[in-house]
Amino acid sequence: MPVVDIDPDELRELTGHEEKGDEELKSDLFGLGLEYEGETEEGLLQFEFGPDRLDRLSVEGVARSLRYHYGDARGVAVPDTNDPDFTYVVDEDVPDERPYVTGAIVRGVDLDEAALDSLIQLQEKLHATMGRKRAKGAIGIHDLVAIKGDALTEEGDGNSITYTGIDPDGDTFVPLDSDRELTPAEVLEEHDTGRTYADLVAEYDRYPAIYDELGLFSFPPVINGRRTEVSTDSRDLLVELTGTDQWTIDRMCNIICYALSARGATIEEVEIEYGASSPEGERTLVRPDFDVETKSVTHDRIETMLGVEFTDDEVVDLFARSGLDAVVADAEDNVSTTYEVSIPPYRVDVLHPLDLIDDVGRAYGFDELEPRYPDVGTVGGRHERSRLEAATRNVLTGLGFEDLLNFHMTSEAEAYDRMHVEAGGDYLGGGDPVRITEPYSEDYEILRPWALPSLVMVLENNTHRAYPQDLAEVGLVAERDDDVNTRVRERRHVAGVLARHDATYEDAKARLQAVCRDFDVELETPPTEHPSFIDGRVAAVEIDGESAGVVGELHPKVLVEHDLELPVAAFEFDLAALGGE
Amino acid sequence: MKLPEPQVAVLNAASATEEQPIDRLAEETGLKPETATQAVFELRDDGLVDVTETESVEYELTEEGRAYVDAGLPEIRLYRAAVEAGAAEEPVQMGRVIGAAELDGPEVDIALANFGRKGYGEIDSGELAADGDADPESDPEAVALIALAGGEDPVDVDDEDLDQLVSRNLLERHERTVRSVTLTDAGVTALMEGVEAAETVDRLTPEMLTSGEWEDVEFTEYNVEADAPEVRGGKTHVLRQTAERVKDVLVGMGFQEMDGPHADADFWINDCLFMPQDHPARTHWDRFALDVPPIDDLPEDLVDRVESAHREGVGEDGDGYHSPWSEDFARAIALRGHTTSLSMRYLSGTQVGDLEPPQRFFSVEKVYRNDTLDATHLLEFFQIEGWVMAEDLSVRDLMGTFVEFYEQFGITDIQFKPHYNPYTEPSFELFGRHPTTGELIEIGNSGMFRDEVLEPLGVEHDVMAWGLALERLAMLTTGAEDIRDLHGTLADLDFLRGAEVTY
Repeated sequence: MPVVDIDPDELRELTGHEEKGDEELKSDLFGLGLEYEGETEEGLLQFEFGPDRLDRLSVEGVARSLRYHYGDARGVAVPDTNDPDFTYVVDEDVPDERPYVTGAIVRGVDLDEAALDSLIQLQEKLHATMGRKRAKGAIGIHDLVAIKGDALTEEGDGNSITYTGIDPDGDTFVPLDSDRELTPAEVLEEHDTGRTYADLVAEYDRYPAIYDELGLFSFPPVINGRRTEVSTDSRDLLVELTGTDQWTIDRMCNIICYALSARGATIEEVEIEYGASSPEGERTLVRPDFDVETKSVTHDRIETMLGVEFTDDEVVDLFARSGLDAVVADAEDNVSTTYEVSIPPYRVDVLHPLDLIDDVGRAYGFDELEPRYPDVGTVGGRHERSRLEAATRNVLTGLGFEDLLNFHMTSEAEAYDRMHVEAGGDYLGGGDPVRITEPYSEDYEILRPWALPSLVMVLENNTHRAYPQDLAEVGLVAERDDDVNTRVRERRHVAGVLARHDATYEDAKARLQAVCRDFDVELETPPTEHPSFIDGRVAAVEIDGESAGVVGELHPKVLVEHDLELPVAAFEFDLAALGGE
Repeated sequence: MKLPEPQVAVLNAASATEEQPIDRLAEETGLKPETATQAVFELRDDGLVDVTETESVEYELTEEGRAYVDAGLPEIRLYRAAVEAGAAEEPVQMGRVIGAAELDGPEVDIALANFGRKGYGEIDSGELAADGDADPESDPEAVALIALAGGEDPVDVDDEDLDQLVSRNLLERHERTVRSVTLTDAGVTALMEGVEAAETVDRLTPEMLTSGEWEDVEFTEYNVEADAPEVRGGKTHVLRQTAERVKDVLVGMGFQEMDGPHADADFWINDCLFMPQDHPARTHWDRFALDVPPIDDLPEDLVDRVESAHREGVGEDGDGYHSPWSEDFARAIALRGHTTSLSMRYLSGTQVGDLEPPQRFFSVEKVYRNDTLDATHLLEFFQIEGWVMAEDLSVRDLMGTFVEFYEQFGITDIQFKPHYNPYTEPSFELFGRHPTTGELIEIGNSGMFRDEVLEPLGVEHDVMAWGLALERLAMLTTGAEDIRDLHGTLADLDFLRGAEVTY
C-alpha cells in the first residue's frame, strides 16, 4: 500500500491550522483512511493508505483533503490556467509501445528544500502506483530556463519540444547523476538508474527521446538529462509525461499540477500535437485536462448502502467534506432525490457512483455505523466432498494416524526421483506434473501428483521423534490432463504411512480394510508392481472393483534415500472411491 | 483377624514396650521402607499401633569438606607454608606463599579470609605476616571436621564449630523426622488372638470372576498417583481443527459450503473480480502461473460482459479502467490467489445454477501466493471466504455479520478501517484485539461487491463478501510462533502431537 511521508509543519502551514498538534493531525488523518505508520529518520510522519486516493501522495494533497474535511474549503477548485505557449510535437519516430505524451508548463514556483523533496516524492510515488513502475506512465520535470524551444512550430509563434524515438546509440546526452555524455544504450548499461529501468525498454526498437532546439534532454521513462535538472533555484518548470495510456498520464499530470498550484504556482497549458501515425491519428490536445466530470447518485442508494437515513442537506454537506460538489437535481415525481456530483480532475478512483457513496460513508464516519445482523434466513450446510474428507479423517485418526496437512506444491525431485517413480509411469504417482511457470524456488515447482512423497518427507524430518509414527493425510493431488477444462486433473487422495520397527504389509492392509469396512466398500488387493515398493509386497487397491490406489512396504532404497532406519508400510488411494460418486 | 501381609509382618515385629523406628521394622520384616511405612499408618488408623515422631539432626560432610579432611583446611595450609617461608620472622610476599601452599582457584580467597579470622597472622599491602605462636594442630574447625569424618557423634562437637562448618559449606545439616512404633493394647490383644495374612492378588482374572474366588481376595494397592506409560492416539491436524470449527460456525449462521478448482483461469480468479490486468497483484511476481494450455471453455457472453466492464465500466455513469485487457490473459491458468474465484463461479450461476436471494455461501480452502516463506508467511494457506446475497444489504449488515462471526472466537471488539479493493466498495479491513495478548491484529478484508463485478455476472442484488487467513486465527488459538511448524512437510510431530485440541 502507498505510504506518504509528511512534514507536520508543512501540513500545518498548508492547511492553515498552526494550532493542530501532531497527535491531533494523526487522528484526523486516520478518519480519512491514512494510518500512521511511524517516522522517517528525518522526522517526517509516515502514513499508509489504500491505493485509490493517489492525489494524497504528497503533503499538498493531504492538506487539501484535510481542508475539505475541516470545512475550510468547499466546492471543486480548478486552478486558473494561462493559454498555451509551448507545443509538444509527437513525431512519427515515437516508439509504438509508448505513443502518448502530456504535460504542462508551471511558472512562478518557489521551491524550498521541503517543497522540492515533496515534489520528488510525489513523482516517485506516482511512478510506483499509477505509473506501474514507470511502465504505464513516467514523469519528467525540467527547469524551463534550460530549455530552448524558439519558434520551431509551423506557425512560428511559440516554443516547442519534440517527443520522438531514436536508435539506442543514435544520440548522446549527460544524464542526471553523471558527468559523461552517454547514448541511451550506454545509460542502460552504465548508469545505476539506467540499469534499474532497462527492462522497460528492453523490447523497444527505438528508444523514447525528448528534444528541444539544443538537442536531446530526456530519455523517458528511464532518466532526465542533467542540463534541465530542477533545483531550489528553478522558477519555471516544464512537466512532461510519457506512457502507454493518455488518460493515465493526464491524471498523473493533474495531480502534479494541483500540488504545485497549492504552492502558488501558475499553470500554463501546452498543446500536444499528434501526427497521423499516432494511434488515434492526427489531433491536437490542450493539456492539462482540468475538465470536471459529474456523476449522479440517488439519495436512496446512499441510504440503503450505508443503512442510515439522511436529509438532503446532510448528504450535500458530507459530499462537500469529501471535496466533492453535489447539487440536488430536480427530483422527478418525488421518487428519490438525485445528486449531480462534480468530481475534481485530480481524482483517479471514481469509476462509478458507488465510489461517491464510499466518500459519503467516510465523511460520515464508518465508525458511527451501528452493526446489525442481516435479517434474512438461509439454510447452511457442508459440501458433500468436505463431509467425506472430514469423515475419512475421523476414521483415520480413530485408527491411530496423526492427521497431516502438507503443501500441495513440491519439487520434481521429491515427487518422482526420490520415490524412484517416473512421470508417465503406469502406476499411482506416475502422472505428468503440473509445472509452475518460472518458479522462484526449486522446492516448489510442481503440484504434487501423489501424496505419499509428502508423508515420507515428514518421516524424514522427524527421525528424532518417538516411534511408531503413523501418519495420514487426505489432501489434494494434481496432474496434467489436457482433457480437463482447466488442464489440471485435481483429485483428493487418502495416504497413510506406518513407520515402526516391525511394520509389514499386513499392518497397512489391516488399516486399509478397516477404512473400507467403515465406508461399506469392498476392498481387493491383487498383486501389482510399483517402483516405490518391495516386489511381492505391493498390491493394487481395488475398491468396489475399481482400481483406486496402491498398498505395500516401501522399498529399502526409498527408505535409505530418506534416511529412514526402519520399515515403512504405506497406502494411497483416491478418496472418491469411498464416496458414493 | 485377617490383615494384608505387610501389616501382619509389621505387627509381629513391633513391640509394646520398646519404640522401634520404622526403618528398623522394615529391615526386620524385609519390607521396602515405603511399604512398611504404609502398613504402619494403616495399622495406626486401625488403632493397633501408636506412632511417635521425634526430630533428629544429622550432619554430612560436603564434597569440599571431605576434600579438606585429607588436604587440610586452606588457611592451615597457608599458615604452614607461611611459617616455612619465614613469615613468622618478617612479612613475605603473599603470592609466593600461596604458590608454596598449592592453593588455587576459590581456595585462595577461602584461605586468606579464614587466615585473618582465626588470627594466624596479618595481610598488609600484599605481604603476609604469620603469628609464630598460633597452633594449627588444635584448630577447632579442623579437629571437628576430622572427628565428624571419623564417625564421631556430633553431640561431642562444639555447636559454634558446627555452625561455622555449615556456614562454610563444608558440612550439611539434615533435620528429619523419625517415626517410632509401639503396639497398643488393642494391637497386643489382636496378636494374642491371632493374626493371619489375607491373600492379596495383583490382577483380577477371568478365572477369579467365574470361580467366585474374587470374594476372598484382597487386591494389592496400586500407587494410583504414579505416572502411567505414554499412550498416543491419532489427532486431527490442529489447523484442520480450526478449519472445522470455522465451518461449524458458518454453517450455524446459515452458510453453504462452496467447492471448486485450485488451478483456474485468471478470468475466474481476477477478471470477474474487476481486477485490472495490469494490477500489481496480477504480475508474474505475485502469481503462480501454470505451464499448461489456456482454459478450454469459458462462458462467452460472460467473457464479453466482463471485458466490457473493464473497458467501459457499467451503468450510465460508469467508467472502465484505462488498462489493457486481453482474453488470452483471462484464459491463462494459474493457482488461485484467493478463493473468491469460487464465489465468482457460484455467483455467475455456472457452478450450481442461478441463485435467487437470499443466499449465504462460504469456503475454507487453500489459496496460493508467491510470497517469501517465513515464520508468518506461507506460499499456500487457507482462506476463509464468505458472501451474502440479499435484496438489500448495507454496510451495517456486513459489520453485523462479522461481529457475530468473530464473537464465536472470543473476539468482541471488531474495528472497521475503510480500505480500498478493486472489487468491493465500500471496503473494510477488519481488526480485532487478541483476547489474551491484547494485540490489535488484521483479521480480514471485506466489502460490498461492486456493480462492475455483479452486473456482468448477472446478479441484480446486493452481495457483501469477505476473506481472511485461517492461519492467523490458528496461530492465535494454538500459540504457534512459526507457521511452518503447523503446515507442510517441515511439520514437527512433537508439536502436532502436543497441540491442544480446538473446540
